[in-house]
Parts: sequence; C-alpha cells; structure tokens
Amino acid sequence: MTTSKVRRIIAFALTAIALIAIVCGIVTLILRNGQTGEDALQSMRLHSVINASGDVETFVAIAEKQATEAAKQEYNEKYKSLPRNDPNRISMAELTKMRKAEAAEATRAMYANSSVDLSAMDTTGLKAALLDYANKLKDYYDAKDEAEKAYRATHEAEARAKAEAERQQKLEAGEEVIGDPVIVIDMSKFVATDEMLEKQAIADEAYLIVGTELKKFYPLIDDETLNTLKPTLSDIVFQPGDDFALLYDRYVEKGSAVALENAFLATLVRHADDIIYAGLALLILALMILYYETLSKKLGLPRIVLGSFFILLCFLTLWFDLSLPALLSNTLVRLGMNSIMVLAMVPGIQCGISLNLGLPIGLVAGLVGGLCTIEWGIPGIAGFAVAIAIGVVIAAIAGWLYAQMLNRLKGEEMSVTTYVGFSIVSLMCIAWLVLPFNSLKLRWPMGTGLRNTVGLDSTNFKHILDDFLSFSIGDLTIPTGALLFMALMCLLVWLFTRSKTGVAMAAVGNNPRFAEATGINVNKMRVIGTVLSTMLGAIGILVYSQSYGFIQLYTAPRQMGFVAASAILIGGATTTRGKISNVLIGTFLFQGVLTLGMPVANVLVPGSTFSETLRILISNGIILYALTKSGGGSRG
Amino acid sequence: MANEKKFNLSSFLRSNAVMILFVALSIVCLLASGQNLNKVLGDLTGRMGRNIFIVLALIIPVVAGMGINFAITIGAMAAQIACLWTVEWGISGLPGMLLAAAITVPLASFFGFLIGKLMNKMKGQEMIGGLILGYFANGLYQLLFLFVFGNLIPLNAPGLVVKGSTGVANTIDLSTERGFKYALDDVWRMPLLDALYLVLGIAAAIILVMMLLKKIKQRRGLIIIGIMAVVTGLTFIPPIAAIFENISAPMATFGVVALLCLFNTALLKTRLGQNFRAVGQNRTVANASGINVDRVRIIAIMISTVLAGWGQLIFVQNMGSFQTYGAHEQVGLYAGAAILVGGASIRKATNSQAILGCILFHLMFIVVPDAGKLLSSDASIGEYLRAFISYGVIALALVIHAWSGIQKKKNPREALAVRR
Repeated sequence: MTTSKVRRIIAFALTAIALIAIVCGIVTLILRNGQTGEDALQSMRLHSVINASGDVETFVAIAEKQATEAAKQEYNEKYKSLPRNDPNRISMAELTKMRKAEAAEATRAMYANSSVDLSAMDTTGLKAALLDYANKLKDYYDAKDEAEKAYRATHEAEARAKAEAERQQKLEAGEEVIGDPVIVIDMSKFVATDEMLEKQAIADEAYLIVGTELKKFYPLIDDETLNTLKPTLSDIVFQPGDDFALLYDRYVEKGSAVALENAFLATLVRHADDIIYAGLALLILALMILYYETLSKKLGLPRIVLGSFFILLCFLTLWFDLSLPALLSNTLVRLGMNSIMVLAMVPGIQCGISLNLGLPIGLVAGLVGGLCTIEWGIPGIAGFAVAIAIGVVIAAIAGWLYAQMLNRLKGEEMSVTTYVGFSIVSLMCIAWLVLPFNSLKLRWPMGTGLRNTVGLDSTNFKHILDDFLSFSIGDLTIPTGALLFMALMCLLVWLFTRSKTGVAMAAVGNNPRFAEATGINVNKMRVIGTVLSTMLGAIGILVYSQSYGFIQLYTAPRQMGFVAASAILIGGATTTRGKISNVLIGTFLFQGVLTLGMPVANVLVPGSTFSETLRILISNGIILYALTKSGGGSRG
Repeated sequence: MANEKKFNLSSFLRSNAVMILFVALSIVCLLASGQNLNKVLGDLTGRMGRNIFIVLALIIPVVAGMGINFAITIGAMAAQIACLWTVEWGISGLPGMLLAAAITVPLASFFGFLIGKLMNKMKGQEMIGGLILGYFANGLYQLLFLFVFGNLIPLNAPGLVVKGSTGVANTIDLSTERGFKYALDDVWRMPLLDALYLVLGIAAAIILVMMLLKKIKQRRGLIIIGIMAVVTGLTFIPPIAAIFENISAPMATFGVVALLCLFNTALLKTRLGQNFRAVGQNRTVANASGINVDRVRIIAIMISTVLAGWGQLIFVQNMGSFQTYGAHEQVGLYAGAAILVGGASIRKATNSQAILGCILFHLMFIVVPDAGKLLSSDASIGEYLRAFISYGVIALALVIHAWSGIQKKKNPREALAVRR
C-alpha cells in the first residue's frame, strides 16, 4: 500500500470520527439548553443545598456560638460576684470551653442518625423553591450590577480629577511618576438603590420559602440557623456571572455529581462545546493529512508545524474556557506592534546583506527620537511624528556608516552584524547613563542616568496608533490605527520594491554577480537597502513602544533583531529572498503562538515562565533552521 | 625561524590590532582607576585560575576551521547538570568534583556530537550558528530545570528546590557540606611568588636541556634565561615584592591547565591533529586527500564541548555557587573575547595566545569598573563597559578578519605571504 493511500484512509477515518463528535456535540448542546441540562442542574443544586444545610459541623458551630453567649451570661450571673478564693469559682475561659464542649456533643448526638434519604422524600417543592430563589437572586445581582455601573459613570470624572491632582502634587514634589494616573473610584459611598432593595426583598421572600421547604427535611433547623446559612446557600444557588458550565463545575466540586441520574450523559452535556471543538480540530487535522503534500510544497515545514501549533493553541484556549476573542485581539495588537520591525528585514534581505541582525542600530536611533519628544514635552500625534522624524534621520546617518562597513565584508555579514549590533546596544547602555536628558519622566529622581523603562502616558504617544479608530466586536478589539499604519508602511515598501531601484536592489540580493554583470551598482544598492532597513527599524521600535506603553532602554533592544529575523523566517523568507507577505504571515504566526501560548501554559503549569521559554525556542530554532538551509554544502 | 622573517610593522599592527588596542586600554584604565596593584594581582590570579581552562577549550575548533566555538555554553550546561546531581547525591569535596567531571564527559560528548552534526549543515556560518544554538539550548535547559528536574524527577537535597516556586532554585550553593567548593583549588596552594620561582625554575631547566640537545640556538636560550633572571631579581625589590604579598596560587588548578596545554600541543601533533589542520586550511583539499571532513569537525567540537564542561566545573568550584539559569549564558562571550584579545584570529589560535588573552581580558575586567566611575557615578556603568568591550572586541576581530580575508582574495601574493 502506498503512503498516499494510507494517508487517505487515515484522513477519512479521522473525518468520520470528527463528524460523529460534531453531531454528538451539537445534540448535547441542544440538550444542555433544554430540559436535560435544567434537570441535571436542579438535582445537583438540590443535593448541594441539602448537603450544605445538613452539615453537622455547621450546626455544631452554631450551637457552640450559642453556648459561648450563654456561658458569658452564666458567668456574669453566677461566678463574677464570688470572691477570688472561693473553691466554686471558675474562670470565664474554662466555663466557655466546658459549655461549648457540651453543646457540640449534644448537637452531634442529635444529628448523628439523621442523614436524609432523598429518594424517600418528596423534593419537588424544594426544587421549585430553589429555582425560584435562583431566578430572583439573578434579578437582584443584575440590578446591583446596573446600579454600580451607573454610580461609576457618574463618579468617574471626580475620581479622575483627584488622581490628576495627586499626580501633579507628586510631580511638583519631584517624585517619580510612571504612566497614566490610576483612577480608583471610591465605592464605599455607594448606596443601594430602591430597585436593588426591592429586588433584594423579593429574593429574601423566596429564601423564606426555601427555608420552609428545608424545614421539611431538617425539622431541627430554626430561623436563626437559616439566617446563618443564607450566604452559603445563596452562593450555592447563584453567583454573579454564572452560566451552565460554571454552575456545573461548582456543584461537581462540592461532590454533588452523585445526585445525577445519568452521570455520563450529564458529563457529555457539560462538555458539549468541547466535543464540538475537538471534532473541528480533528476535521482540520484530517484535511491537513489529506492535503499534506500540497501544503508542504506551498508553505514549507516550519509554517505547517507552527500553523498547526497555533490552531492547536486556539482549540486549547476554547477547551480551557479562556476568552479566545480577547486573546486574538491581543495577537492583533502585537501584530501591529512588531510588524514594522519585521518589515525592516525586507530591504536588508533584498539588497543582499541577508538578515539584518544589526537592526539594534536602527532601534536605538528610534529610541533617541522617542526620548527627545518626551524631553521636549511634545504631546500626541505631533510628538509621535517628531519622534519618527528624529529617529529616521539618526538611523539614516548610522545606517549609511553601517552600510559602508558592510560593503567591505561581503559574505560575512551575519556574524559580524550580530556582534556589531550587540556592541552598539552595550555602547548605548553607557550613553543612556550619561546623555544629558533632564525630564524627570526620563531620569531617575535619585542617582544618575535614564530609567530602565520610561513610562509613556496620555501626554506622550501611548497607544496613539492602537487607539486610533479602534472598535470592539464583543471581546475582540481591533487596533485599527496600528493595523492601518502597518498597511501603509507595507504599501510603501511594496511600492519601493516595484520601482526601478527596488527591482535592481532585489536583483543584487538574488544574484550579486549577475547584477554586477548587468551594470547595477551593487555597493550603492546595498547602501540603499541597509539605510532603508535601519530607518524602518527606528520607526518600528517607536510603533512597538507606543503600543507597549513603555520605552525600554539599556539591554532590551539586544534580542529584538533576532525576534524580527525569526518572524520573517517563520513567514517563509530565506536569507536571500523576502517579501511583504512573509512579514505579515510570520509576525502573525509568531506573535499568535506567543500570546495564546502564555495563558494556556499558565493553566497547565501555573505561574511558569513557559511563554518566555517558548519564545526562545521558536525564535532561535527558526533561525537555526534557516542557517542550515542557507549555509550547507554550497560553500564547500 | 622568527628572526629570519622580515619585520613588517604594518602587517604586525594589522594582525595584532586587537591586542595592541587592549594593552593600551588596560594600561590607561589601570592608571585611571588608581587601584592597589596587590589587590589587582590577587584578583587576577583568582580569575585566571577559574577562567583559563575554558578559554583553552576554544583552540581545537579554531584549528579545525570552525572559528570561535560559541556553542561552548552547551558544554557549560552539561557541567551544570552534572553539578546538580552530585549535589543531589551529596557527594562533596574532590570525589564530588571528579564524579561531576565524569558525568560531564558522556553528556557533553553527546551534546557536542549533535552540535557538530548541525554545524556540518551550516559550514561557513559556524560562529553565528553556534551563538544561536547556544540561545536555543538555553531554552531547552530552562525547560529541563524548570519542568523536569524538581517536578517530574524529584530532588531531595535541601536548598535545591524552593517551596512555592516551580523548578530548581535560582542559585545552587556548592559551599555547603554537599558541594565541592574549592575542591580542586585547595588540593595544593602555595604563595604566588614561590609559584613564580617554581615556574621560572622549571622553564630555565627545560631551556638548558634544549640548549644541550641543540634544539635552540645558544644565544637565544641565554637571552631568555637572562630575562628570567632579571625578572627573578626584580621580585626582590621591596615595592615589587609587596605586590605579590599574601596571594596564594591554586597550583592544582594551574597544574590541570598546564596539562590541558600539553594535551592541546600533543593532540595537534597526532594524526587526528594533522587532520584538524588540514580541514581547517581547506575543506575541499582535505576531502580530496581522503579525510572524512564531517567526522573530523564533529570530533573537534566534541573535544571542545567536553573541555568547556570541565572548564565550567573549575569555574563553579572556585566561585562556590552558581546561578542555575544564568551561569552559562556569558561563557562563550567572555571566553571568545579573551582568546581574540590574545592575538588569536578565527583561523589561528595557540595556547600562549589563549593564556595571554585571558590575562589581558580579565585585567580589563578588574580595572574597567573603577575607571568607569570617572565617566559616571553609577555603579552599573562598569558592567556596561565590560559588556561593550567584550562584544566590541569580538566585533572588531570579526571585522578585521573579514576585511583581510577579502583583501587576500584581491591580492593573492599578499595572501601567500600572510599564510607563510
């Protein structure tokens, strides 16, 4: 049997399983929203409530509390007046201890044999009461939520003014202020609205009915016990934000799964959405196996591996009930944030200096531009523009010098540029310590030099692109401005590659000897490409900073060249060929895997640095892969 | 013979530019910092003892034409894995150190084999490949220490795992009764001055024997012995003797280093060593003459990786503790910069260049922070200066090498002259 046949059989088998899973999932999902789900929830709720209110220890605790009170009274009445040396005199602590022990023992004895046999009782009354109580509680919480929202809205301006004033005070006192003022709305003065009180009263009434029903099961329960139990029971019945899955999980945690009539079906119903996800994942897997050859030819192995990993992560986030739209909007933000730096690789590759690992040269130029804007206090979009202008000018000069050097070491660029980039970053570390910036936003108030991270805020260019025209669809927020800017830059670079110079430059990158033979000035093209790449690096770091909200100085830019290089390689570029599409695909895949990987890893291993490790592995792994492809035996 | 060659100032300057620059820098910094020479020398002795072995581990790959092996960080990782387990088993002192060294051998050989395999796929790009491979391996190392050791494979020794955090603790302490701090250094220590006399005495004896066997010209030998006598005489002058006061030299460590130098020299004289040279000079020719180029390169990297692992063991036994997640990161950078400072290039390196480079580089390490304080009062400036100089030295060496390589291509006659 040929491999393609085996592949086809596997693919069809997987498709069949996937389809069964999807159908099964849809059916159970319908069941969940119908009577089956409601029944399961109700019987579990009943069990939880009965368990919680029939808990002997609860009663013991109540009895002990009462005994303590009684002992106090008894002490005051009987023993307090006795003289110190009276043999009958007893200390209050001892008395309390004694009475408490008695009460506990008595209560335990009373409840020892009173475990309730649910099957023998008529539970319909209690079930109905509980359902009613749950609905009324929901009404109450909704009303409360709404009221609080309204309160926040009316008091926000006040809180903002207060925060601003505090910040101003701090600034005047010369203290360090980083980022935007934190607006804290004081909720202590929040008073329940009439609507809330009304809803609460209704809920309390419903609780009374629950109480009367409960008394049928536990005749010993008195009104006071009911009051003590109220918070526990109401938490069991309904909490703000509950849905089927949350309620189900909470009841299972309390051990109420035993109350289910058909545990298997209930589990299926609970995981209906997960079954559908699994089915879809299998379907995609089957398609990939079926079309493996076409895919691997069109995309290449690294993209298949990372692409499948990304899809797997998407399903895992759904599986773990994380918000996929929120995470995807995070990915979009980081796509806009990183794409310009990755785009900077394109002119470098096309002009034949291969991956521009000396990108940090452009990055520090951009950083200087950003710092100047803050120093001069130029706000908003104008500040961002000035920062870019300064950064680009410095980057052009530095890039030209850098290109002169690179023209003298053709063929050895990669290792040299890496170390030149490293040297520049460490040289700038010293520069950050001694540069004559004065703004307290930039400097440490005590000590010398600039801060490690300079916080941007609304007076500078924080989120200036991200927030421009941004809109939300549910949890998915689109950073329109950043994406538009990305598209604009990509368009400009694309137009350049289509121009006469751009075509000549690409010829140099593809085959320098042929280019020289056709009369192209190779050195000039390499200079143009390098300068462009460095300038894009300067813009890139500013776009990155506005989105990140901080300007990172010192050693931070050191690895960014590698990150950018690996992103474009992931997108399918090689060390001699690179296109805009490689930039977009690569950045999205790389950043997508990182943004989705972090929360998933945190579910699997809480509090781990797994995402950072993942970044190291992917970023360096792909560069190694590219090196094995480009180096190889061709050089003898 | 050296004195028969015409002395060409410009070519001498070009091939030793890095070193000359460095000597000048060190002298300026030393004067600017105004440090006590006794303290500087004491520091330098300690640093030499713990760092020189790993620098010497770089020589074989350079000879085999693979440039500076920045992947020695992976050898250091192997050594740190070995350290972890000797501490876990509680085998302390010299036996612990020897056990760690023994564990390092198979681990580092295996890693070296893989590195070699990979580097054979990126011929001509070994240095950048080794650097990135070091970063990549660091990711795997973190996975191992964060998620495998201490989680999947439980560790019981006190202090290795911190409660409430995942993975192995941030620092592994070797100064407890389970570790092997100073295990090698304390085998045999003697005052530095005595050690100097000892070395000079042995060297003089060797030269005398060689003179008698007519392996060295009489005049040359006498001049060398004369210089050594003057050096010995100088140490009796009180101010110079004061510099050497209260410094003890870890003779056992230096002995091991001497053995490694002998090993390097001897290895290059064997058939395998000749193959290294042949492959290093021209892979195509070596291949044509029947040498299995890929295999020779893998062996070179394996030897280098194992030696680097041992070097890291010597380093940590002297330091007494190490950062679990960071101790290996800068190993390749510092060792690579050190050997380049000594006048080595990425095509040629010798024992003496490694030793000289190590001395100069670490002298810089000692004096630069104090000199940096003249620039800014911030304490971290010294650290940044060190990093800048380390990276800068490597960048400069690479630029100079690439430059002269291209000029050789342009001018074949000069290329021949340089090679001779």
